[in-house]
Order: sequence, then C-alpha cells, then structure tokens
Amino acid sequence: MAKLAIINGSPRAAKSNSKAYAAIFKKYYKQDIAEFNINKNNHLEICSRIEDYENILFVFPLYADGIPVTLLNFLKKLEEYQMNHNIKIHCIVNCGFIEYQQNTVAIKMIKLFCKQKGFKMGSYLSIGSGEAILKTPFAFLVKFKIKQLAKAIENERDKAFFVKMPLSKKLFIKASTQYWIGLAKANGVTKEEMETMQIE
Amino acid sequence: MKLLMMDTLLDIEIGNENKLVDLSTLNIKNCVGCFGCWVKTPGKCVIRDDATSVYPLIAKSNEVIYVSHVRYGSYDTIMKTMLERAIPIQQAFIRIHNGETHHVQRDVKKKKATIIAYGEIDKEEKEIFSELVKRNAHNMLFDSVKIVFTTKEELLKTVEQEVAKWQN
Repeated sequence: MAKLAIINGSPRAAKSNSKAYAAIFKKYYKQDIAEFNINKNNHLEICSRIEDYENILFVFPLYADGIPVTLLNFLKKLEEYQMNHNIKIHCIVNCGFIEYQQNTVAIKMIKLFCKQKGFKMGSYLSIGSGEAILKTPFAFLVKFKIKQLAKAIENERDKAFFVKMPLSKKLFIKASTQYWIGLAKANGVTKEEMETMQIE
Repeated sequence: MKLLMMDTLLDIEIGNENKLVDLSTLNIKNCVGCFGCWVKTPGKCVIRDDATSVYPLIAKSNEVIYVSHVRYGSYDTIMKTMLERAIPIQQAFIRIHNGETHHVQRDVKKKKATIIAYGEIDKEEKEIFSELVKRNAHNMLFDSVKIVFTTKEELLKTVEQEVAKWQN
C-alpha cells in the first residue's frame, strides 16, 4: 500500500479551499491516506507521523505570489528532520486569479525544495480561479482533474495538471466582483466601503 | 517617501526623511487568510500587531529597498510574513493589469524597487527568485525593479551601496 499524507498548508486550514480540494482527493485516492493541517506547534509531530509514508501531497493557496508562510515554516522543519528520502512530494496549488500560470513560481519552489533536500518531486495540479470554482457549475472540471491527479499518483506517473474556470477574463472579473460583494454583504459591508482607498 | 525594509539588524544610516523597518525586531503574526481586510474592515487588518504600522509605509513609498534572506527560491519567512500581511493595501476586487487578473490597489504609490537577496544562492534558485520578484512587480506596483544577490558577509556593504544611490 502506497501511504499518502495530505498536508494542508493553508493558514486557515480547517475552513480552507485547500481542505475542500483535499476532501475531493480523498474520494479518488484508493490507498492508505492520512490528513494533517499545519499549525505553529505540530511540525515535529507531522514529521514523525509520516516517516514511513511513500507520498506527501501538499495542498496550499498562493500567497503573495509564492508559498504561504505556514507551509514555508513546515518545509524548514521537514528539511531538518531525518526523513525517509524515498518520499515523493506532490502538490495542489490554487490561486484566486483566473490564470493558473500565476502558480508556476510556487510549484518551481516546491521542485527546488525537493532537489535541494533530496526528495523526489511527483505530480501536481495548478488551479486558477480556485477561490470560487467549487461554488460554481464548473466544480466538475476541478473534480475531474483531482481524480486524474489521484490516478497519476497511484500509478506512480509524474504528471502536471491545470484547471481554471472556462470564462473570459472580463466575465471572470464580473463573477468575482459579485462573489466578493456577497461575502462583504454578509458582514454588513457595502461595495463602496470595500472600495475605500484609505489604509489604516 | 523611501523605505528600507530588512529581515535582519544592520547598522546603517538612511537619513531622517526616509524610513527604516527592521522586521526582525517587530511582532508580526502570519496572515490567517480571513479576508477581513477586504470584506469586514476594508483597508485594515484584523490582527492588531506591528504589521499595521508597516503596510501603510509600503503603500506610501515611491522607492523601496527590501532586504531578505532567500529560502527555496522564496523570501525567507520573516520578509514573506510581512508581504503576506500587506494585503489590506489592496481591494478584494480584481482588474486586468499588464494583461493578467490582479487585485485593485488602494492608495498605493507606484514604486522603484530594489530587492537585496542574500544567502548561498545558486543559479537555479536565483532564477526562481527573480521570477517571483517579477510576479511581485505586478501585484505590488513596482514600475521598475532591480535584484541584487549577495552573501550574508557582504550584506552590509551591499545595502550601504544601494542606500547611497538614494542620495543621487
């Protein structure tokens, strides 16, 4: 059995989109699987519990064009830990922008981490429009790609997958504007208030 | 305004009219991804720590020097934590900027940016870091950007050289 550890690198792990993507992955990956949310205090615990695993799947959002600090901190610990270097590292990266290409640098950083620290890099899925896609009729597209990712990992084929909403940029902006207005409205905040130019 | 933001303590003079932020001495927690600065208290972070005095300086500066250790082709965690906490200076709304979707900025000045990246950095890592900075340029309104790679030993000298250019 090729054991796989899903490691959620989102700072809001419990209610993150990464969690939702991980949940879909769990449906399709038929082998032994465990899931961890990184927090400030459990880096060592996660490392010790995944020692005999064959695969790690990092699931994380793009933050400031790169890997979120939550995951960077964990990578530093993983680097120090005397880990089984036959572990293969895979990832699902999602960004709120429609261009999944904006995730490319973060994926290169994961690859570089693997190369520098002697891990093997496996498959990955790069998701554009990842903040909202699961709440739209296009959710099936991302589910299909996650299924393909799960199969690639099971079959030990290193593959790259990409997905985004099939919308023009203009339409995407319209949909995203409505999405954010809706979130703010739930807090009693208007569109005009959201548009404030004032900082602090 | 000119801003020198560093992830390590360096003994350096920058002149009274400029701002120096030493992130290593500040208390800055990591962004929790709550989007409060976009949909609850627009323009303000809900975490009331030292970051709330730093991101307004980033917004007001038309020239910045960021000094960061590099790890896995990324800013190391001290600088990255601050950059992630700077999203209150953007709006939730998205626009097309340089042909890609990016967030609308609040009252943020366009900047000339110099990034001083230090550590033992090989060619591949330099390339990845450079790509990262190029992406930042879109999201952080850098209208020109220069990256200077250096070592920990040469850092003070490198920063002094770049700060000296502010006088010209």
